[in-house]
Parts: sequence; C-alpha cells; structure tokens
Amino acid sequence: MSFLSLLVNEPGRQVLMSGNEAITRGAIEAGLSYAASYPGSPTAEIVTNLGRLAKTHELYAEWSVNEKVAIEEAAGASFTGLRSLCVVKHNGLNVALDSLVSISIGGVKAGMVLVVGDDPAAHSSTNEEDSRLISKVAHLPILEPSTPEEAKQMTLAAYTLSERVQLPVTLRCVTRLSHGSGNVTLSLIQPANKKPVFKKEDRFVTHVAFHQAQEIKLAKIREAADTLPFNTYTGPEDAKTIIIASGPSSLYALEAVQALGLAGEVGVLKLGITWPLPEKFLLKHMKHAEKVIFIEEIEPFNEENVMALAAQHMTDIYPIQFFGQHSGHVAGPKGPGLGEMDPDIVKRSIARVMDTGVAEAEAAVATTNAVSAAGVPSAGIPEREMAFCAGCPHRASFWAMKSALALDGRNGVVLGDIGCYSLALRRTGWSLPQTMHAMGSGAGIANGLGKLDMFGFNQPVIAVVGDSTFFHATIPALINARYTSSNFMLVVLDNETTAMTGHQPHPGLNKNAMGEDVQGIAMEDVVRGLNIPVSIHDPYDVKGTVETVYKLLQSEGAKVLILRRVCALLAAKAETRPRVYVNQDQCIGDDCGCNRFCSTTFSCPATIWDPKKGKAVIDEVVCNRCQVCVSLCPQGAIKVEGGDQVAR
Amino acid sequence: MEQLRMSLRLKQEVMDTEACTRCGLCVGLCPYIKTMNERIAFIHDCSREDGNCYQVCPRTPTDWATLDQAVFGEARTDQVLGNYAQILYARSLDRGTGESGQYGGVVSALAAFMVESGESEAAVVTRGEESGPPTPVVARTREEILAASGSKYSASPTLSALNEGVRQGLNNLTVIGRPCQVLGLRKMQSLTGVSEHNLSARQVNFTIGLFCFWSLDTKVYSLFEQKTEGKAVRKIDIPQNFVVLTTDAGEVQIPVDEVREYIRPTCLRCFDPTAEFADVAVGSTEHDPQWNTLIVRTAKGKEVVERAVAEGRLEIKDYPAARLPLLLTAVNNKKQRVVDGMARGEAGYEYLILNSASFAAAGRED
Ligand SMILES: Cc1cc2nc3c(=O)[nH]c(=O)nc-3n(C[C@H](O)[C@H](O)[C@H](O)COP(=O)(O)OP(=O)(O)OC[C@H]3O[C@@H](n4cnc5c(N)ncnc54)[C@H](O)[C@@H]3O)c2cc1C
Repeated sequence: MSFLSLLVNEPGRQVLMSGNEAITRGAIEAGLSYAASYPGSPTAEIVTNLGRLAKTHELYAEWSVNEKVAIEEAAGASFTGLRSLCVVKHNGLNVALDSLVSISIGGVKAGMVLVVGDDPAAHSSTNEEDSRLISKVAHLPILEPSTPEEAKQMTLAAYTLSERVQLPVTLRCVTRLSHGSGNVTLSLIQPANKKPVFKKEDRFVTHVAFHQAQEIKLAKIREAADTLPFNTYTGPEDAKTIIIASGPSSLYALEAVQALGLAGEVGVLKLGITWPLPEKFLLKHMKHAEKVIFIEEIEPFNEENVMALAAQHMTDIYPIQFFGQHSGHVAGPKGPGLGEMDPDIVKRSIARVMDTGVAEAEAAVATTNAVSAAGVPSAGIPEREMAFCAGCPHRASFWAMKSALALDGRNGVVLGDIGCYSLALRRTGWSLPQTMHAMGSGAGIANGLGKLDMFGFNQPVIAVVGDSTFFHATIPALINARYTSSNFMLVVLDNETTAMTGHQPHPGLNKNAMGEDVQGIAMEDVVRGLNIPVSIHDPYDVKGTVETVYKLLQSEGAKVLILRRVCALLAAKAETRPRVYVNQDQCIGDDCGCNRFCSTTFSCPATIWDPKKGKAVIDEVVCNRCQVCVSLCPQGAIKVEGGDQVAR
Repeated sequence: MEQLRMSLRLKQEVMDTEACTRCGLCVGLCPYIKTMNERIAFIHDCSREDGNCYQVCPRTPTDWATLDQAVFGEARTDQVLGNYAQILYARSLDRGTGESGQYGGVVSALAAFMVESGESEAAVVTRGEESGPPTPVVARTREEILAASGSKYSASPTLSALNEGVRQGLNNLTVIGRPCQVLGLRKMQSLTGVSEHNLSARQVNFTIGLFCFWSLDTKVYSLFEQKTEGKAVRKIDIPQNFVVLTTDAGEVQIPVDEVREYIRPTCLRCFDPTAEFADVAVGSTEHDPQWNTLIVRTAKGKEVVERAVAEGRLEIKDYPAARLPLLLTAVNNKKQRVVDGMARGEAGYEYLILNSASFAAAGRED
C-alpha cells in the first residue's frame, strides 16, 4: 500500500496494509493525539508513519530518548484526556517496565495503547522474549492480533477498553504480523478530543492502596473478555481435540488442521485477548474437548494460564489432557518454545499429539513445500553473511580498535552494545566485542571492570555504543564513571542516525520524528559537561584512529572517543562520490603477501576476488565509495576515479 | 620442524616471548603487522602457511656461519669482532654532520655522502623527538639526515620506514641500524626461493651498523620526562656510568643503574654488539667524544670509506693499539655471557645457531 492510503477517509474501502500500517490507521481512526516511541523492530514503522501524518491529522509524534520516557509521555497525554500511543519492542518494554508498572497502578484517563513488538526467532533482535509476561506483571490487558485487519480493529477496541477501565492496554504484535500484509477495511476517522486539560481534581498516583482498584479493573476486563469479537472458535462444536492459539499461530493452526484433513475432528480456538482470559468461552470448549493443544510462540503463556483455569474447573471439564510446550509435543526444530511457529511445525506438532497422522503430516509438509518451491526460486540463492554494509564506518572503527588493542598488548577487553555494531560479534567485526547485553550495558559493565585495579586487573577496557544508544542509556553510566573515577574508554560510533531500525532521528540530530528542524544536542557537550575528556575522530582515517585509540588507552580514568562518520547508506543517498576501482596492473594478487586483505580480512562486501585474473576487484554495484580500502591496500592498488583522493 | 604457520610461529616464538628486537623489518611487509610505541604486534592472523616475516626476523633461527658466507663469502677470521677489513678511528670533516653527530658524526657523514653523491636515493634514519620515542624516517636530503643524528637509546623499529620507502618506489637506500637491524636486513637479502615482492632489503646498497650493547624500553622516556621536568631532550649520551640528557637548560645526569631495569631482555641475549654483518660499523671510542670507532667490514664499506676520505668528508686515523684489548674484552664478555646462557639451556637463545667457526669460547676476561 502506499503511505497515502493511511490518509484516505473512505469507510468500507479495502486497502492492502502491513500490520504496522493497520495499527497506524487504527490509531488515526481512534482519534490519536499523542504518540511516543523509541525505534525498534518489528514495530518501528508505526511512529515513522505517524510522524509523517502529524501535520494532516493534528497529532504529535515523537522519537523519544528511550522507552521509559516514551511511556511516561504517553501516560501524561492520557492524563489530560488525549488518546495516546506508545510503541516499543520487547526489549524496549523492559526499559519502560518500572514506569509501566507504576502507571498501571495509578491508572490513566483517555485511552492509552501500548503496542509491543515481539520478535520470535529474533529476526532483528538480540533475543526472543515474550513480552506478554511483562504486561501481565503490570496488570495490563493483552490483545493479540492475527491479521492486519484484526490489528486495526483491535487498536480501536483497545482504546475503548482502556477508557472503560482506565488502564493502558497492550497490543502484542509479532514480526510476522507487523511486517506481513493483508486487506484492511477502512473505517471513519473519528473526531476526537484534542483539548488537553489536567483537571484539578485528577490524581494519578502509584500506591499500594490502588492495588485493589487495579484488580477490580482487571476483573471487569475478564468479564468483558468473553464478549469480545476477537475470540473465535472454528470447528465441530463437540470436537474431542481443540487447539488453543493466538496471533498468527492461530492462522497456522487453521491451515494445519485443513491440510491434515482434520477439520471435521479438531476445533481451533483463537484467543484475541490473552490476558485476562475469556474464561467462560474457554471453559465451554474445554468441556467438550479431551485433548487441548496449545500453539503459541516463545513462552507457554496461554498454555499456563489456561491450564491454571482448567485446574480450577477440573471437576467440570474432566477428562482432559494438555499438550504443548510443557509436554514437548509442540516444538520447532530447536525444541519447545524456541523460534517461530509455522504451518509445518504446527502440522508436525498436531501429528505428535494425534495417535495417527505422522505420515499425513509429512505428506502435507511436502505438498506445501513443493508449492512454495515452485513459486519461489529459493534454490541457488547464496547464503548471505551477516556483515557490515559496504563502506560502513563501523568496519573501519572496529579494525582500528582491533589494531590499537593489539599494539597496546595488554589484552584489552571490548564491551559491545545493541545496534548495527552488534554485527562486530561476527566475522566481519573480527568478533571483537566480548560482551553484549542491553542498550547501554557495555558502559555499565565497563564501569565495573574499570574499578578492578585494586584487585590487580590491568586489561584496558573499551565500551562501544552507538549515537542513539549514547542518549538512550549511556549517560548515567558516564556520570557514574566520573563519580567513581572508573577507568575505561567509551567509544561512541556516531553514524548520525539510528541506523539499525531504519535511520530514525535521535536527540543528537537536528530533525524530529515529524520532520521539523530542531536543535540537536552535541554529545561532546554532554561529555564535557561531565568533565570527562572527549576526543572526536573520523573512523575513515584508519591510521589516525588507531593512533587516537592507542593514545587514549594509555591514559587513566574515564574518557570518551567519538568516532563520527555518517552511515554509509545515508551518505550514498545524499551525495555522488567518485568511483573507486582496483588498478589490476598494480594489484599483485596472491603474490602480495596480504592474503587478500581487502576481500577476506577487511571483508568489505564491495571488494571481491576476480578468480580469472587472480586479483582483487570492486563490485561497483555494492560499493558505497567510502575510500577506506584505498588507504588500506598495501599495494596502493585501489584508486579513486579522477586521481587523488577527494577531500571528505 | 612442526608445521605451524610462519606468522603464528613469529607471534609465539618472538613476539609473545619478548624476543622481538623491534627492528621493524616485518612491519609493513603485510597489512597485519604494525608498530606503536616500539611495540610490534600482529593485528590479525593472516593464516598464511609461508611468511617472509618469520624468515627475515633476527630472532628466528640464524646460522652465523651461513651469514658470514652470504655477506663476506668466507668464514670469519676474528671470533670476537667478526669479519672486517680495517678498524679505525674516524670523524666527520663535513661541517654540520660533525657538529650534530653523536660523537665524530661518522654515521651521518657517510649517510649524507651516499645520498648527496646520488649513490643512494635516501637514507633510513631514526629521528629523535623532544619527548617520547624517536620516529623512523626516510631521509632524502642531507638536512633530513642531520636532523636525525644523535643516538636514541630505545629500540626504534626503524626498518618499518625502509619498507615504506621501498613501497613508495625508492631504490638504492642507505640504512643506519642497530646490529639486530643489520642482521634482519642480511637475512632478507640472502633469502632464496621466495617472491621478490616486498624484499625491501634488496633495495639497500649501503648498511651502516651501530655498536649496540643494549637498548631501553620506551618507559624510560617517562623517566627522562620526570628527570628533565618535561623539558625537550636535545641529546642523550651514556659516557660512563651516567645517562646524560642535554636540554636547552643544561645537562641532567641519571645514574646508569637507574635505567638498567628498562633494558630490553632480548638485548641480553644478543650475540652481536658490533654489527658484524654491516658494510661499516660505527661506535664510540669510549674516551674521545670527537672521534668514532669505525670498523670497515665489507669491500663495499671499504670503497665508500675510501671515497669519503678522498673527497674530504671523513678523516681517519689508526685505531690505537692500546685500546684494542679493551674493545675485544667488552665484546668478548658479552658474547661469552650469551654462550654461557645457551650452555645452561636458558630460554631465548633458540635463534642462535653457532659453531666453532662462528665463536670459539675465549673465556671471560673481566
Ligand atoms: C641503542 C643504542 C645503543 C648504543 N650502544 C653503544 C655502545 O654500547 N657502545 C658504542 O660504542 N656505541 C653505541 N652506540 C652507538 C653510538 O651511540 C653512536 O650512534 C655511534 O657511535 C655513531 O656515532 P656518530 O657520531 O657517527 O653518530 P651520528 O652521526 O649522530 O648518527 C647516529 C645515527 O644513529 C641513528 N640512530 C639513533 N638512534 C638509533 C636507534 N635507536 N636505532 C637505530 N638507529 C639509531 C640515527 O638515525 C643517526 O643516523 C649505540 C647506539 C644506539 C642507538
């Protein structure tokens, strides 16, 4: 779909949308006023689009410094009567957890929806985590859309629910929902209250006294859950086997039951609300079932909640047996609860539960695979290594750090962080980082290592963060370092964007989420303000960077080095640079002694080996013309068109 | 021989054991070996099976007798000083080089002579800094050669500049180096069966070796900075029992014992204090700072010295017969200490392949 169809106000019209677009549309239809987010896959596109719609739809959209602030802002807007939205990924919800728990206790006013993007199989995340557990801790209702259409409808319903009980409501998405597309029926864009007032009598306070109120609110939702249109049952009313699923897994379950020819035997119960549970609806179907199979991704969340419900009502529903992650029947190739579900895994899982059916399952898997193989030319596509992009300044930065640490010779430790530069854990970053946890964690761990000298620890420590991460979660660690005189070096790989999630702006830049010009904050000023020495260098100057890193490693105390160079992808879009090529008369191939440094060690995807000539060559389609290889080729065989290197 | 990769062996046998002399010859042969603050390190395992880096290193197995043959075409006649044609006193008559030289300025005068006469395109020298370790330089002019005169007592990896100069296309270079550096150069020059690529030593047409009994860790520069209260050091000398630092504000003396802890351990395992494989080797006279000891070793060395004398660049005189035993004793003692260490089976001497032709134990004379 085009971005413009988000603007169309033609009720009834069907438009192809991704899950993220459907949620965006749902929020607009619900009269959203205030959106705050920190970018994260798989849900980053929601606020990107809201930012573009801000002008036309009288709303405010923001890339916040981090998720904790984002959620607090959304709550603030809700307190004044404006419908608000907070969008995070699963890790982001962890960052916001403290505030989330408190906001939930104090309650909200206008509808506040929390979109959480979970990433089963961690396609673009460090880990797979089931955020439903966290929403449950925070006493939030959870809606789980299975299609874009449902995502839009649930967004609207979430606002209504939120206002009914004055709790934020979680819309839990997974990658396949967020990025998959489907038809969405447009509804009227509702006129909404856009007049914020913080009423004199209103109080939103966290206190144990409100715990009871919170439980009452949840109980109300539990009542309402049974009446929500999003819980469905497909199959014979007396099915002895039922599958309980939610989100896209419910679609896989329906498909699998069809493919196995079990439609007359097995029912599929789809939960639209997974917390609190639609208890009457569940008990009704568990009463006729003797076998219950849970199909869900990551944690056995529904499985455990439904089993607890069943235990409580066991005399009514006995005999009944449960199959899922706990029994080990529902499992992908890596095992129960690991990785994503897909129709094949579901087919095999059902087959494991049913006495017969293993052969049928394999046949069904084979049929679907044959169909998809016919349509997609998957065979013959080479595997692509997870690697830094051509021209990525991070590659140069990590090579420089690797060099400086080798020259320093004291077994320096590099602490990684979350961003594009996490790729340094892989081959093309020479696996330099030895730790990687959450945003800003590297700097925190460095604080700790930097205080171990009293025990005789003398390995130098480098913590690496990105520019967005610097603002997001690193500043407190720097304050700590200054206060405790911890001894480490923080390297900020400043590529002037939040590259990993799609080049969103951050507080260091002069643009905001709505495309307006703003006054960015220079991170060097922040560091100077803490009275911590700061240096700035261009990582494309590899030799100078090695020297700078080396020199800083010899100094005591906390220090910051900003390696500043815009993301190669942005640079390539912004300007036309001269062509870079290998002068094959000068490249002496394997006689060089460099062992194909450019293509196998520095490993820029744009420098490749020309097997016919036995020399290096540049893949000009891939090359972003950064010229770093020009300075590193030991033979000086890599050239810039037009002669000398152009001033950068 | 075990089938370890050459690069890995260089790392394990030389770098990891601190046997490295910091000569700098491996630096820049490939993109994987770099230097900083007189430390030489592998940035990355290049995974090559072969590797000139290992072959040319002065601290990988080196057969003295073979090198004698390669450089002089004959076995040595002098077991202590190595092969030589003449041993002389010499000093520069070349105004400038004489004034700025460490002693008689012979080294700078000869280097300037080679470059000014056009016989060498440049000279590889070691230029001092006001503080901290010196900088290896490819000097293309007399001025640049003079700017690098004077001894710096740390182990500058000067030969990295040779590699750089040759890479830039220079030919026929004069190299001034410590004995370990000369050793590396000769090993590279006598390599056979390898690609000519990057064999920078083959572009060297004159080798001036310095006498050298030890060099110091760069940590000594912090001591200097402290002793001079941060003043720029113009000259360093070690006449007898003191390190004398000359600053604009005068001299600062540090007892030699205070710097002993900075002596690089590999220097104690060095068998060659007089640059036995150089064309000429130059040292102090140990008593007259206006003159140098000059050992003319090869035919090339003889020819260059003769021309320099003929053109009035150099003044020479006989080596005082009375002083020869002092020199021989000093050198012999150092060699004997090494041989004793080898005999005790201590680590660090594995590189030395000696036979009776290369050293006949004379016993130590103190
Ligand atoms: C580390 C070291 C230890 C020495 N130990 C002794 C000793 O024990 N006994 C003795 O008689 N002589 C020793 N010498 C030699 C002596 O100090 C003089 O360099 C030599 O006598 C030449 O004097 P000159 O007046 O001709 O020097 P100059 O004309 O001043 O020329 C000196 C040359 O040495 C080069 N140089 C300076 N420092 C270094 C270095 N660290 N590595 C490589 N090249 C360098 C310079 O580039 C310059 O070209 C030592 C030299 C060094 C560098």
